[in-house]
Amino acid sequence: MTAAVEAIPAVLPLTAAQSGMWFAQALDPLSPAQNTAECLEIDGPLDAALFAEALRRVTAEAEALRVRVEDTPDGPRQHLADHVEPPLTVRERATPAEAEAWMRADLAEPFDLAAGPLFRHALFRVGTDRWLWYQRIHHLVMDGYGYSLLVRRTAEVYTALARGEEPAPRSFGTLAELVEDDAAYRSSPAFAADRAHWSERFGDRPEAPRLAGRGALPSRTFLRRTAHLSPETTERLKDLAGRLRATWPDVLIAAQALYTARATARTDVVLGLPMMGRMGSVALRVPGMVMNVLPLRLTVDPGATFAELVRQVVLGIREVRRHQRYRYEDIRRDLGLLGESRALVGPLVNVMPFDYGVDFAGAPARARNLSAGPVDDLTVNIYDRADGRGLRIDHDGNPALYEGTGLAAHQERFLHLVDRLTGTDPHAPLAVHPVATPAERDLVTEEFNRTGRALPPTTLVGPIESRAARTPDATALVFRDTALTYAELNARANRLARHLQSLGARPGTVVAVSVPRSVELVVALLAVLKAGAAYLPLDPEYPAQRLAYMLGDAAPVCAVTDRADRLPADTGTEVVVLDGLDTSGYAWTDPARALTPAHPAYVIYTSGSTGRPKGVVVPHRAIDNRLRWMQAEYGLTPDDRVLQKTPSSFDVSVWEFFWPLREGAALVVAEPGGHKDPAYLARLIRERAVTTCHFVPSMLQVFLGAPEAAGCADVLRRVFCSGEALPRETAHAFARALPDVELHNLYGPTEAAVDVTYHACDPADAGPVPIGRPVWNTRLYVLDAALQPCPPGVPGELYLAGAQLADGYLGRPELNAARFVADPFGPAGTRMYRTGDLARWTADGEVEYLGRTDHQVKLRGQRIELGEIEAALAALPEVDAACALVREDRLVGYVTGGADPAGVRAALARELPEHMVPAAVVALDAFPLSPNGKLDRRALPAPVFAGASGARPFSSAREEALTGLFAEVLGAEGIGPDDAFFDLGGTSLLAVRLVGRVREAFGAELTIGSLFEAPTPAALAARLDAAAPASDDALGVVLPLRADGEGLPLFVIHPAGGLAWCYAGLAARLAGRPVYGLQARGLTGDEELPRTLREEAEDYAARIREVQPHGPYRLVGWSVGGVLAHTVAVLLQEAGERVELLALLDAFPSGQWRERPAPEEGDALTAVLRMAGFDRTGERTREDVLATLRAAGSPLAGLTDRTLSRIVDIVPNHARMMRAHEHRVYDGDVLFFTAAAPRAEDWLTRDAWRPYVTGRIDNLDLDCTHPQLMRDRYLDDIAAVLTARLKELDA
Amino acid sequence: MALTVEQIRTDVADCLGEDPADIPADENLVDYGLDSVRIMALLERWRREHEVTAGFADLAEQPAIEAWAPLLGAA
Repeated sequence: MTAAVEAIPAVLPLTAAQSGMWFAQALDPLSPAQNTAECLEIDGPLDAALFAEALRRVTAEAEALRVRVEDTPDGPRQHLADHVEPPLTVRERATPAEAEAWMRADLAEPFDLAAGPLFRHALFRVGTDRWLWYQRIHHLVMDGYGYSLLVRRTAEVYTALARGEEPAPRSFGTLAELVEDDAAYRSSPAFAADRAHWSERFGDRPEAPRLAGRGALPSRTFLRRTAHLSPETTERLKDLAGRLRATWPDVLIAAQALYTARATARTDVVLGLPMMGRMGSVALRVPGMVMNVLPLRLTVDPGATFAELVRQVVLGIREVRRHQRYRYEDIRRDLGLLGESRALVGPLVNVMPFDYGVDFAGAPARARNLSAGPVDDLTVNIYDRADGRGLRIDHDGNPALYEGTGLAAHQERFLHLVDRLTGTDPHAPLAVHPVATPAERDLVTEEFNRTGRALPPTTLVGPIESRAARTPDATALVFRDTALTYAELNARANRLARHLQSLGARPGTVVAVSVPRSVELVVALLAVLKAGAAYLPLDPEYPAQRLAYMLGDAAPVCAVTDRADRLPADTGTEVVVLDGLDTSGYAWTDPARALTPAHPAYVIYTSGSTGRPKGVVVPHRAIDNRLRWMQAEYGLTPDDRVLQKTPSSFDVSVWEFFWPLREGAALVVAEPGGHKDPAYLARLIRERAVTTCHFVPSMLQVFLGAPEAAGCADVLRRVFCSGEALPRETAHAFARALPDVELHNLYGPTEAAVDVTYHACDPADAGPVPIGRPVWNTRLYVLDAALQPCPPGVPGELYLAGAQLADGYLGRPELNAARFVADPFGPAGTRMYRTGDLARWTADGEVEYLGRTDHQVKLRGQRIELGEIEAALAALPEVDAACALVREDRLVGYVTGGADPAGVRAALARELPEHMVPAAVVALDAFPLSPNGKLDRRALPAPVFAGASGARPFSSAREEALTGLFAEVLGAEGIGPDDAFFDLGGTSLLAVRLVGRVREAFGAELTIGSLFEAPTPAALAARLDAAAPASDDALGVVLPLRADGEGLPLFVIHPAGGLAWCYAGLAARLAGRPVYGLQARGLTGDEELPRTLREEAEDYAARIREVQPHGPYRLVGWSVGGVLAHTVAVLLQEAGERVELLALLDAFPSGQWRERPAPEEGDALTAVLRMAGFDRTGERTREDVLATLRAAGSPLAGLTDRTLSRIVDIVPNHARMMRAHEHRVYDGDVLFFTAAAPRAEDWLTRDAWRPYVTGRIDNLDLDCTHPQLMRDRYLDDIAAVLTARLKELDA
Repeated sequence: MALTVEQIRTDVADCLGEDPADIPADENLVDYGLDSVRIMALLERWRREHEVTAGFADLAEQPAIEAWAPLLGAA
């Protein structure tokens, strides 16, 4: 309040540039992120007193340093003070470490925009002739160029003073000039032209390239890693720039574009360029906040050269500069990105070449930036201080996105790349430059792929025959009530094999098998292999047309079926029908065949993107390698029993069938169709003592949801997952249901013999489940668009190489050439398979699956991890299992279980950003599964969407009122309850305005963040309903400040003005407890006012008993409310109830007031102010009072005239009743809080309560006035004491 | 040695990668790609070779050859 004594300060609106900063701060008022700071190292003697004088003079010259910023109903305003004493800390003796620590601590302090000053200095003497000058300034008033002006001027003034001269006159421009300049621009034709330019340039709303793979809200701090480009590299950089007719910043920007493109696997890259924004402007002479961030869009094609990329940068920046005054925030708003909290740019490249060659009376100084402002994602700050040390490069990262090591890796790679680029012919294609450092390249191509293992040249079937010879009597196979020994199985398969050989089956040929799951299926598959042929599984459930296609494509020598009508009749393929076939004439011994590991073992068809299925031919050595690795890794024993439930047309079945038979274990065959029935599977596993089985993750989720699953915990040893990404939630659910069972996540396409990577799930792990490390003799490559290896953490396409690769697609040479390509990292002549899967290495050599390169899920340009939505859905009560997909550009969620779809959607809207909330949720009895047990997404039913926005009537008065406020603030008409604020052209500043209006109208505390979360009137209404009492009830006698909660309620009684809203802050601090306010009658209608306090207290006691019929009661009252609380307590005790808490907040008994004059009517306004926590100062009229309340953001500012006029009656009525009231005795202790600041009514004393209280009066003094008790800092103390007392009572 | 308008034009064109004939005397050089780094580079060169005393802000305030000539001592 001391500011008022100064001369009336000038008041200016903010410039658009400042508004952006103001809004960022308003989002998180206590955040120090908007702090900018730098430290000048001054080498030489310095006179601290003269220095302070220089700072004083520069502060007097630089208007921006003398402002503070207040929010008003018309928007934020900057108040310019005539004089501000610069805050300066001087330490004449400090170690550099002490100084650094001091600066770090200071940098973590937020400025109070409304209070000011918004800057701070410190001066440390860290050596005889060595000083550190630290300055921190809020970004709202200063930018990097502004710093350079301030530093140069300070040096100039100090130097003059040191010489005993008067400094040359000041040369700074004024803030008013900046504001005028800004306003002139915003109403100029150039503004409209610039807007059109940016809207056109980014009309397709490209996705921002994120090095972390995702975005995050800004943090309060940033991570920084500093490096210097060596003087030599700096020289080479400048030389290269000269040769390319560019500047060194152009070259560094091009290098960052190249790095970003490769590290994010994209060719369309948008970088952010902070620009000083002062060229040709009066702002050149104004220290202030002018800078802007502009998007530079580049196409980084691996085939183009670096010279071409630099040229693109030069021309691109030239174009950007022509439109550089248009604000970044405005571009985002124009593009509709603001409402989606979506960025436009990826990394920022912030070049600061500002002239810092200054000295202080001959003592040279070197500047070091300490904070360049908030870091949304990653900012690369580059400083040329022309001090001969080369360029300084700071990588600043948002700690929500980057860890120290990750940030360091980005910096090292960038420096490496710059070094490479400056030493390479700029006319070579960009593809020659890897982003990985040589060490990283070696790590990912060699170290992570050391999987070489010499193996004997065997086949899939050879080890099975040896096993049968060694353990002929062991059980090989169990199906229903049939069990076969190894000898029996071997003999039956041998006889059939010999029959097939008689029909032409031999190595290199194909035999189709179409038999439902049974003993016969196993015999048939084994027989084909024994004959030397490759088997082609045909799922009997496939449509006839597809079966006919596969038979025609693979041209098998014959097809084995269980019965005659299994396959289409007219394919020309010879059919071997097992039903009735007599093979007893064939020998039971192993048949001869000229089989080598290179011959095909099976042909499995997979769906093709063109719609034509393609047959993958897998040779024996590939699957033999796979099974040998699996045995070495998991060690199956003859005691094990493996469940065969995967359809034979899916390659997972290959290990199910043959791994146990190679190792002497038993195969337990499930019923046909049984793989889709979790209860059946659980029973089978338990009854047949299955130790090992496989689930596709979505089926595992279903299985774990079945109550029978837990019964398998005692028998199962290990479960394998593959076929889909394994959600971590499923892995956790697995660990809970089957605690001692191993869960292994495997990955591999049919094109590489079932699986090529493996990862053992640990229940303690979090985050995405990796697909793991390569299996034996297998190499994995994650490659970028230039086919260069991606370093760990960087996404790229996954390529596979090694022993397990398939021979290729049957009869598809072109497809083979496209998918199986030469391996540039392996021995000559080797191939690698291009998976189409997006993946990345972890730092310790595991691979994470990220999705598909071709069918990525995107909505409105935003990449959506459906797994996250599914996890959120699945986490809801009554949801058993969930999936999500995009259908007609809308996200749809599907759930099973008993949940109500509308409730699910509403619950998700509370947890997820809007774009991730399904537009519709569909409840299903069960998920449709495809024949191989995968979730069949295409079989999910289409949802029915509700009608368009605006078409429906309002569902509540609050919704209607909010819609009205939207229309008012937006200046728009025809707004419906489901229209989103930001879709209607809402800006961040308008959001602040709207929040203010909502606060006024509803007395509801609302943050700007909540508007992002609930952007429509309907959503906001729902949020307000949930958070606060309805406005209609806000004037009722009982005000439920928190109706739900644990334990006995606390009743808080209104002060003289009659409203209990003032207790909202207290209620907020008593988390989890029910709190009810009691308010005076007559606030709304024409109810008669009470005649005595006793009458009023009797009324309240009755209302309290409606909420809580019997004691013990807990009562709190402030001011008149304390007197009432005491009276209510006495009344309750007299009715035989127990009162266990009576807390009086600066309330004094009636006798203390009796002799004092009754207040005048005007004191009602004082009472209103007091209820809001203010002493009345200069406010004379009702309008003055309302203005004060509005400025403070008080909900009382929203009181209607009618309510205010009622309060004008209520206040004097209370004053009158107080003076007439006679207290009776309360039996118990009182908790008292005294507002201990000196007051005019110095006769007031809590001791006056003595005659009316039988117990103790425990007092806490608070250093504040009576109204200030309801302010946050004092409420903290009050709530702490109350909470402690309540806990004692609870116990 | 004092700067001439023609020398200014030649140097500006050089740092912009343009032909001197394409650089008009009265147009805003920002539209031709002039930026703070290039102004600093030009200023460095002119200070070294022509004893120019103008500051960065002087040139950046009115980025056109016509406006620069008197500041750079070119008649």
